[in-house]
Amino acid sequence: MSEHDHNHEVLAPTPGERALNYVKKKEVIIPILLGTFFTAIFAVLGAHFYPEWMPEEMSKDMTAIEKLMQVFTYISAPVCGVVLGVATYTFMKRKTGDVPPEDGPAIRTNGPVVIVWTVVSSILALIAVVYGIVELNVGAQAAVADSKNAMVVNVVGNQWVWNFEYPAQGVNSNILELPVNQPVVFHVVSKDVNHSFWPVQLGVKVDANRIAETIAETTPTKLGNFDVKCAELCGIYHAYMETYGKVVTAEEFNNWITSNGGHVA
Amino acid sequence: MSTSEISNSKRTLSAITGVALGVIVLGAVGFTLHSASADPEKPVVATVNGTMDTPQGSLPHAFVELGVYPDKATAAEHGFKSNKNDWVQYGPSSHIVLPAHSYVTMTIKVYDSGEELNNAFFSKIIGTEGGVATIDGVNQSSVPANEVQHTFTLHSLPTTTQDPLFVNVPLPRVQTDDKDNFLPTNDPGTDHKGHTVVFSFITGGKGEYVWNCEYPCGDGTYQKFGAVMGAEGYMNGKVTVQ
Repeated sequence: MSEHDHNHEVLAPTPGERALNYVKKKEVIIPILLGTFFTAIFAVLGAHFYPEWMPEEMSKDMTAIEKLMQVFTYISAPVCGVVLGVATYTFMKRKTGDVPPEDGPAIRTNGPVVIVWTVVSSILALIAVVYGIVELNVGAQAAVADSKNAMVVNVVGNQWVWNFEYPAQGVNSNILELPVNQPVVFHVVSKDVNHSFWPVQLGVKVDANRIAETIAETTPTKLGNFDVKCAELCGIYHAYMETYGKVVTAEEFNNWITSNGGHVA
Repeated sequence: MSTSEISNSKRTLSAITGVALGVIVLGAVGFTLHSASADPEKPVVATVNGTMDTPQGSLPHAFVELGVYPDKATAAEHGFKSNKNDWVQYGPSSHIVLPAHSYVTMTIKVYDSGEELNNAFFSKIIGTEGGVATIDGVNQSSVPANEVQHTFTLHSLPTTTQDPLFVNVPLPRVQTDDKDNFLPTNDPGTDHKGHTVVFSFITGGKGEYVWNCEYPCGDGTYQKFGAVMGAEGYMNGKVTVQ
């Protein structure tokens, strides 16, 4: 090797240079741009349109659930955006015509990509798990605190009608009427097959089993009507196993109790 | 004719054949679904006769009559020729048509025995005028849960496009040792009268509703909600308010 050659020896690129060169490639930068675009779309959907499509928030639980769904949408937006970006670029650059393309070079692995993908996915999943557990704990603690002053409603599922017993008030009704800002505990059972008690706008969904009683707690925070559905396929008229509920003022609730032959607890 | 022309012709023919087959398959599926969803039996239509003064004003007074039979022989005994399975069933139809904004008086004649409701809620009479039903001429607001034969429970989807309607009437069972009332299935021809239950309710606007029996009168499966209770048109059906 001559001295002249030695002075012009090409050094191996550093990891930073390799990454920069990799990102500068057209087939990398375009999917990244597309992925960023789609991520932004999902983020906007999560922030504005998605909550609009969710049921009305009529309890603290429903508010917490919708917030949780919104955060999870943000967390999953980059993953979905990048995958869709790569898919879109692949579709755009697809081979057309009758002659199939030659096989590309065999790619065994790509260490940096695997590391980035795994670490980013793990961080996103960890955020979702930790946030979910914290929110669950907040809800559970609130339920324990509220249960001391809670009104009990026994929810009974039959094919294909719900009925609601207020043991302290001595009323049994096919309509679920609740006073606003009053914590309520649902004791849910079924008298035949399995059902699922789902007062939609209250953010509660719990199994109604024949043998075991299930318990759920919530506090209605907004006046108005809400839907009560069965969320478990329970027979030919499962689709008709719906009724409605009302969140009313304490005075209206007491009037409703007395008009149904009950007594104010 | 060149090879490419033949190839293009075949492609066009294949495409047209494919589209035509798709249309035929979709049409056949649509026709089958439409046929399956069609009402298999002639509905029983309420008859309007006069008006009734109510708190909502003077409303058309409609009448409709149903029967509950333990089997086809008993149904035939009382003038209803059923072409369904030999199970307990309502007749003459499970599809009831009622006029909108009307005072409906329903008469149900019952001829079956019974046991105990699995949910006492359905022993109460709910949603009828005055909260009562006339059972063999006597006004009652409930029937003991262990004396119920079946129930007529009418309910709906709480949509914004139709008025809510909920009616529950427990039907008293025929005592097996009551010679005047009991009609054993192996003893047709005997003039047993059963029970007559009459009640009234007011319909709202047009809508589609369903009714079903809340007494577990099916076979041993699904807590006695199997067989007849899981089959359409016996102990459940539609109510069309029009």
